[in-house]
Amino acid sequence: MKLAVQLTEALCVFVVIFYLYCRSPAFRPLKPDWPRPRGKVRLYLVFSGIAILGNYLGVPVVGGQAIVNARAVGSTLAGLLGGPILGMLVGATAGVHRVTALSGAAAFPGAVATTLEGLLGGAVHVAMRRRPERLMTPAVAFATTLVGEILHMGIVLLLTQPHEQAIAIVKAIAGPMVIANPIGAALFMAVLLERQREQDRVAATSSARALKVADRTLRLLARGLDQASAGELAAIVKDETGVGAVGVTDTERVLGWAGIGGDHHRPGAPIASPYTRQSIADNAVVFADGVRQVYDCTVSPTCQLGSVLIAPLQVDGVVVGTVQLFETRGRRFLNMNRSLGEGLGAVLSSQLLIARYQEQKSLLVMSELKLAQAQVNPHFLFNALNTIIAILRRDADRARDLLIHLSNFFRKNLKRSSDLSTLEEELEHVRAYLEIEKARFEGRILVETDVDPELLSLQMPAFTLQPLVENAFKHGLSETLGAGRATIRAYREDGVALIEVEDNAGAWTEPRQRAGLGMHIVDKRVKNLFGEAFGLSVTCVPHELTRVTVRLPTKGATA
Amino acid sequence: MMSALIVDDELHARDELESLLVETSAFKIVGRCGNAVEALHAIRMERPDVVFLDIQMPAISGFELLSMLEDDELPAVVFVTAHDAFAVRAFEERALDYLLKPVSRERLAKTVERLRTLPGVEARRGYPRAEIKRIPCLVARAIKLVDVPDVEFVKSSDAGVYVVTAKGELFTELTLRVLEERGRLVRCHKQFLVNIDQVDEIRIEEGLAVIRTRSGQQVPVSRRHLPGLRELLEI
Repeated sequence: MKLAVQLTEALCVFVVIFYLYCRSPAFRPLKPDWPRPRGKVRLYLVFSGIAILGNYLGVPVVGGQAIVNARAVGSTLAGLLGGPILGMLVGATAGVHRVTALSGAAAFPGAVATTLEGLLGGAVHVAMRRRPERLMTPAVAFATTLVGEILHMGIVLLLTQPHEQAIAIVKAIAGPMVIANPIGAALFMAVLLERQREQDRVAATSSARALKVADRTLRLLARGLDQASAGELAAIVKDETGVGAVGVTDTERVLGWAGIGGDHHRPGAPIASPYTRQSIADNAVVFADGVRQVYDCTVSPTCQLGSVLIAPLQVDGVVVGTVQLFETRGRRFLNMNRSLGEGLGAVLSSQLLIARYQEQKSLLVMSELKLAQAQVNPHFLFNALNTIIAILRRDADRARDLLIHLSNFFRKNLKRSSDLSTLEEELEHVRAYLEIEKARFEGRILVETDVDPELLSLQMPAFTLQPLVENAFKHGLSETLGAGRATIRAYREDGVALIEVEDNAGAWTEPRQRAGLGMHIVDKRVKNLFGEAFGLSVTCVPHELTRVTVRLPTKGATA
Repeated sequence: MMSALIVDDELHARDELESLLVETSAFKIVGRCGNAVEALHAIRMERPDVVFLDIQMPAISGFELLSMLEDDELPAVVFVTAHDAFAVRAFEERALDYLLKPVSRERLAKTVERLRTLPGVEARRGYPRAEIKRIPCLVARAIKLVDVPDVEFVKSSDAGVYVVTAKGELFTELTLRVLEERGRLVRCHKQFLVNIDQVDEIRIEEGLAVIRTRSGQQVPVSRRHLPGLRELLEI
C-alpha cells in the first residue's frame, strides 16, 4: 500500500511535468502532426523522456532488484498516439535505459515488457485509427495500460531468474503498478485532451474574429490602401481584437492608427520601428512579446506600448505595407491575438489583391473605351468637315453652328471616361453628334427624341448613350437605301429606368469586331457600376428595326 | 469637256464635289447619284467619261458597283473617300486616282491632269472587282437586295433580266454575263443562269435536260452547257 502511494506521488510529479509541457510554447496540437515524420520524432522524444523519467521516479524494491516504475505510461501512450513502431521505440529506449543505467534482476524482463506495452498501445492505435475521437480517451488509455501491466507482470514471472525472486518481485510491484499506472495514463490523456480542446477553442475564436474583421474590411480595401482606408482599417481591427493599439503602414509611412499612442504615431509619419522595417524587408510576421523582445517606441519616450505583432500586407508576393497590433507594457500579448494578427495579414493581403484586380479590370475597360473612341473618330471627322465645307458655300451661319457642335462633341469626348454622367449630359453629347449626322445625311434620316424629363438627372457611366446612337448610324441607318428613322427614348418601368435607341434599319448582327466593342464596353461598365441585373439588351427584327435597351437603376449609383 | 457622274450618299458631299468640278471647267456633270443602284442605272444611260465614286455607301459599296458593270460599260473612275486607309491602299497602285474628302482644289487639278493625259482604256484597267453577294432588284419603285444564295436561277428575255427566287421573280439591271462572272451563278442555257446550291434534280429526256429547283421551278439546260454542268455536279 505504501508503494502504491509512493508510485502515485511519482505519477503526480509526472502529470505536473507533462501539464507544464503542454502549457509551454513547445507544445503543438498533436493531431495534425501525426502522419508527418517531424511530428513522430517529437512524439518519440517527448514520450521517451517521460518513460525514462518513469525509471528515475520509481521506487526500488526487493533490495534494488526491481523498481516500481511508471515507465509503461510513456511507451503505452506513445503507442496509442503514434502507432506500434513509435510505441516499441519508446519502450525499447526506456528499457535500454533501465538495463544500462539501473541494474537489478528485473531490469531485462522489465525492458522487454515495456517494449511490448508500447507495441500493445500501437495495436490499439491501429485498431481504432479510423475513429481518433474514441481512441483519444482516458478510458482507452486506462484499459490499455491495465492490460499492458498485467502482461508486464507475466513477463517478469517468466523471464526473471531465479523463480522465487520473480514471485517476490511481482508480489511487491504488481499491486501498485497495475493500479497506479493505468490511472496515470488516463490522467495524461485527460491533460492532453484538455489542452487540445483549449487550443481548438482559441483557434475557433480567432477564426470567428478574423472572419468578422474580413467582413468589415472587404468594402474598405476595395478602394486600395490609402490614408482614409488605413485609418478605418486600424479602427476596425482594434475594435475586433481589443488590443491596445493598431497601426497600418505602407512600406514607408504610417497610414492609419487607432488606440493608445495616437498622439505621436501619426498618419503620414515615416516608419521608425526596426521591427516594421524587418517585417517589410523579410516579408515575414515579426513578434516582439514584450518580455524577451521589447517594443521600444523611437518616437516618444513616454509611449506606453511594449509588445507588438507586425504582419506584412502583400500583393502578388510584394510587400505593400503592414498591419500592426500593439499591447501596452503592463498587459500580456494574448496568444489568441497573436494568431489572429498573423491570419489578418493574410486575409487583408488577399483583399488588397482583389482590389488590385478590380482596379486593373476597370483600367482595361477604360483603355478599351479610349481605343474605341480613337477608332471611331477619323471617318466621322472628315465627313463632318466635308459637310461643313459644303454648307459654308451657301449658309455660313449654319456652317458656324455645325462647327460649334463639332467642337462640343470633341470636347465631351475628351471628358474623363471614368466619370459618372447624368442622362442630361449624355443627351447633350448625343445632340452635338446628331446635329452633325443630320447634316451629313440630310433628307435621308430623321431623329426623334422622347425623354421622361424626370429622368434627366439619372446617373450612368459617361459615354453610355453616345456609342449606341453612333452604332445606330454607323451600322444601321447609313447602310439603308430608303428613309432612315432613329428614336431615342428614356422612360421608367417597374422601378427601373430604360433608355432605348431604335433604328429602322434592322441591320444588327452578332457583334463584329469594332461594331461590337463599343456596345460591349457600355454593357460592361454599366454592370460594373450597378450589378449584373442591369446593362444592355438588343432586339432586332431584320430589315425592320434594331432596338438597343439600357437598363439602369432609378436610384443612381450605389458604389 | 469630260462628262462626269458624281456618286456619293451624302447630299452636301455631292454639292461640294459638283462645285469643285464645275470650277475646274473640265467637266460636264451628267448626273448625281445618292447610291450604287441609282449609279448603275445612270452609268448605263449616260455613259459618262468619268465617275467620281464614294466607296462607303449604303447597301452596295463603290467597289461592288464596279463589279456590277460590264467591262465595256466601265468608265474611268476616281474614288472619293473620307478615310479608308485600307481601301486607299488596296487600289493605290491600280486605280486611276483617288481623292480624300475634304477635297482641295490643288489636288483635284492633278486628277484633272491625269484624266486628260491617260487614254480611256488605260484609265480603266485593273479596278478591284468584288464578288457580287447581293443583287439589286427593282420592286415597284423600291430597291430590294436579293442575297445570291437565295437565288434559284436568273433568266434573260426581251423584257430584261429577272432574278428568280422561291418567292418570285424580280427585275435587275445586272446582265447575265456580270452575274455569271462575279456572282457564283452557273450558265446552263444561253438565257439562263442557275444556282447550283438550289438544284433539286436534273431530268434528261431524249438528250434534253431540265433542272428542277428546290421550289419546283423548271430551268432548261442547253446541249452546249450540259457537259459543263454535269462536271460541276459530278454526275
